[in-house]
Amino acid sequence: MDGIHDMGGMHGFGAVAPEPDEPVFHEPWEGRAFGLALVGGALGLVPPGTGRGRIERIDPATYLASSYYERWARGMEEGLVEAGTLTAAEIDARAATGGTEPVRSEGTDADTVALVPTFLNSPQPTSGAPAAGAFAVGDRVTVRRMAPAAHHRCPRYVRGATGTVARIEGAWPRPGDDAPEAVYSVRFANADLWGDDAEPGSVTVDLWEGYLT
Amino acid sequence: MSEHHHPREPSDIERRVAAIESLLVEKGLVTSDVVDAIVETYEHDVGPLNGSRVVARAWVDPEYRARLLADGTAAVGELGFGGAEGEHIVVLANTPTLHNVVVCTLCSCYPWPVLGLPPRWYKSFAYRSRMVREPRAVLAEFGTTVPDDVELAVWDSSADARYLVLPERPAGTEGLSEDALVPLVTRDHMIGVVR
Repeated sequence: MDGIHDMGGMHGFGAVAPEPDEPVFHEPWEGRAFGLALVGGALGLVPPGTGRGRIERIDPATYLASSYYERWARGMEEGLVEAGTLTAAEIDARAATGGTEPVRSEGTDADTVALVPTFLNSPQPTSGAPAAGAFAVGDRVTVRRMAPAAHHRCPRYVRGATGTVARIEGAWPRPGDDAPEAVYSVRFANADLWGDDAEPGSVTVDLWEGYLT
Repeated sequence: MSEHHHPREPSDIERRVAAIESLLVEKGLVTSDVVDAIVETYEHDVGPLNGSRVVARAWVDPEYRARLLADGTAAVGELGFGGAEGEHIVVLANTPTLHNVVVCTLCSCYPWPVLGLPPRWYKSFAYRSRMVREPRAVLAEFGTTVPDDVELAVWDSSADARYLVLPERPAGTEGLSEDALVPLVTRDHMIGVVR
């Protein structure tokens, strides 16, 4: 989807503003939204696959006006409703009357709690099947012109541009597909993206083979 | 959650998130302690200190450095680190003539097991839009100047790889132990906005 989320190269957002001694979560609800989104995905309370697509479908004005974890929360709510786990009406009704402190469960779920460090804080095998792709390191490749309406991972700012394969990462399913497909790190000279007065240097973007010719 | 007095008006989103959690708990689909455990993992256990330990090890152990550059996920795993958003870690080594910096223009991709969750500025519209187009100007806002004779390579993490920058070992640290090197490595070095 060519949505507002695809921000590479846009003007007008001003200076970057680092925050000294920033907390991991600025408000308790941010942590709850983050945790619920992870658990909802792991337990199948939202439709399988990436939550990114649901965040990208937030209407542009709302996307821009929302904080980061607000977008996560909106995407999660969308997924819970889409999966039939909750209805929009019951969330609306509860939000109108329920206050800001979530109900605590009386029981515990030790088995699922034990999985948290397994998934979030333990060594994992390296993902990515070996890639048998059409391109080799050093090949010149051009990003296809396209405008897919579904979720994808090809930023607008590289479409039509030609770059050089710098690495072959491996193979993963391209969003919207099931079969693993080779992913290339493609290096673009800044001038080939932004014109002759661009800063010197390069941008390297990870692109599925289907995005390239 | 303890009793928490809010001195401000609660936001609509705060009420909606509480509503969602309460409904999921009451339906028996989620228990509060699972959400607590996820929050506490990133508040206390998984953060940039992990990445600093990886970098310090690479500075003192050339064989580890070689393994780290060959398969970041496996080498990070040797130190006990790994997990979600770290399934394919690629380590980018700075050199005297190359500086690497990482962004995710489409969302907020970030190597959680070695850096924790990203700071707000990394997810900001300003950083996402500008780092690919005017990286030297953005780095200047962090007080970082990359000399003109150093190649500046920006990495937009748009697929499954998650990037960690391996900064150069600072001059004058030859006598320091691995443990003494750890505090010299900051989150911002490992994103690449500080050189």
